[in-house]
Amino acid sequence: MSTVGLAEPVRAWRVGICAVLCLAAMSCGDSNTSKGVTNPSASNVVSVVVDAGPTSTSPDVNTLFTTVTVCVPGNTTTCQTIDHIQVDTASYGLRILAPVLTLSLPVQTVGNGESLVECTQFVDGYSWGPVATADVQIGGEAAASVPIQVIGATNFLSLVPANCSSIGPAEDTVAAFGANGVLGVGVFAQDCGAGCVNSAANGFYYACTSTQCTGTTLVLASQVPNPVTLFAKDNNGVIIQLPTVAAGGAATVTGSLFFGVDTQTNNKSGSQAVLNVDPTQGYLTTMFNGMTLTQSFLDTGSNGLYFNDSSITACTSSNFTGFYCPASTLNFTATLQGVNGVSANASFSVDDAQNLGAGLAAFATLAGTFPSDPATFDWGLPFYYGRTVYTVIESAVTSVGMGPYVAF
Amino acid sequence: MPIARSIVSVKKCVFAGGLLVAALSPCIANAALGEPEASVQTDVTELRGSIKTTEHTYYRVHAIQLPSGTVVREFVGADGKVFAVAWNGPTMPNLRQTLGQYFDPYVAAAKDNHAGHHQLHFEQDDLIVQSSGHMRAFSGRAYLAQALPSGVSEGELH
Repeated sequence: MSTVGLAEPVRAWRVGICAVLCLAAMSCGDSNTSKGVTNPSASNVVSVVVDAGPTSTSPDVNTLFTTVTVCVPGNTTTCQTIDHIQVDTASYGLRILAPVLTLSLPVQTVGNGESLVECTQFVDGYSWGPVATADVQIGGEAAASVPIQVIGATNFLSLVPANCSSIGPAEDTVAAFGANGVLGVGVFAQDCGAGCVNSAANGFYYACTSTQCTGTTLVLASQVPNPVTLFAKDNNGVIIQLPTVAAGGAATVTGSLFFGVDTQTNNKSGSQAVLNVDPTQGYLTTMFNGMTLTQSFLDTGSNGLYFNDSSITACTSSNFTGFYCPASTLNFTATLQGVNGVSANASFSVDDAQNLGAGLAAFATLAGTFPSDPATFDWGLPFYYGRTVYTVIESAVTSVGMGPYVAF
Repeated sequence: MPIARSIVSVKKCVFAGGLLVAALSPCIANAALGEPEASVQTDVTELRGSIKTTEHTYYRVHAIQLPSGTVVREFVGADGKVFAVAWNGPTMPNLRQTLGQYFDPYVAAAKDNHAGHHQLHFEQDDLIVQSSGHMRAFSGRAYLAQALPSGVSEGELH
């Protein structure tokens, strides 16, 4: 019996035959599947929500979602609004699961007209699918002809290169993915960056004929970008603001995702500490328990706080392997430090992971080990509860500094 | 010597391929976890990496630097077998190559990861896989719990 993380019932598969056919065929027309998220009044802010996610039979925990509208490029009426797109500050680019996409979006081509297909790597597997272009609207912000990945489009599934499938399991269904897509709004402007400009064996991008795929180099402008960078304004970063979560957890948490920093009256820099992160991998340093953890990061895409502390009781239930199960709530303080030397303290609490009640989706005290790298503190979504956290993109400028940085 | 190991590894592979799976697949040099130390050199070749070896009290570590910048470390015990593989860097390594015979069972059982896409903790029988990180920054390790040499703690495997 395998065990990973929180106990959940078996996930149901969501089948979307139309969606995958549409990608390569004709338009399937308009649709609007928005629900649950409403757009606040200002144009540069959109609601975000922590809830059980898109599949009720397999509830998500500490997963932040928003709603995104994609349109056929240049066509303002052939659009689809998709809810439960995960907001991720530790990836870069918009990716949508093919089974939920009902639009026909043009696939990018490279070289001699081959289709551009991407292998997105996750720690627990890979997502394979073509890079298409779409006009993207999030709240009142818009960007035209944005390269996005369509994960799991069936017309390319048989072509998965061995180097991609050799990462682990495929994550190309809503059930496997836990969301209808992911919106990567972290500190980098593209998902791959210079490595894919210079090397065809980059592991990200492939040029595919109808029968085979070959690794390809790709200029920055063709890579899947953090879509914020393509907004006409408010394009230097994002701010995520979430309320505190009560000790027992919450079924739903609603907050705000602001676009831009110091570009409007509602996204000003304040007195927050500005912590620059390293320009290659986005790391900062955490000082905790006398340790200096140089490969730490802030990440809304991690559903807990992950760090190593052998003094905290580990869960023994196989359903909670890797999580902490202390007998009572433990309170800690750590210091985060940027590569620019600026530091800030952060308090956090850890409680028994098994106390998470049924029907609840947000827990501020969920924490677990990070065994694979003793130099890491992964500040997942619980860190964002009760805070306003700035994420500024590489080379972008605000009134208080230049990205890549985080501030809180 | 690395060259000698390489030759040994290739012969073993050709033999196995001819005998068992000649028509089914190309000769995939099964490497690493649970395999003899010679398989490390196969990984170096298959992953197109360069290697650096360091000696420790209870084991030897072969660090393979991949073209992507990711470093794969293979831990070899006194019995001459690989008991752990660890990785760190901007891309995930080829786990089919480095986990060898353990890859298919891992994939079959690891599909229900409930801790999100940035954390994986997997246990099945003797195999433990822990993988963490995010786009451009991955780390992880896989090891055989029963094969850890005496005197070696899990915390050293990174």
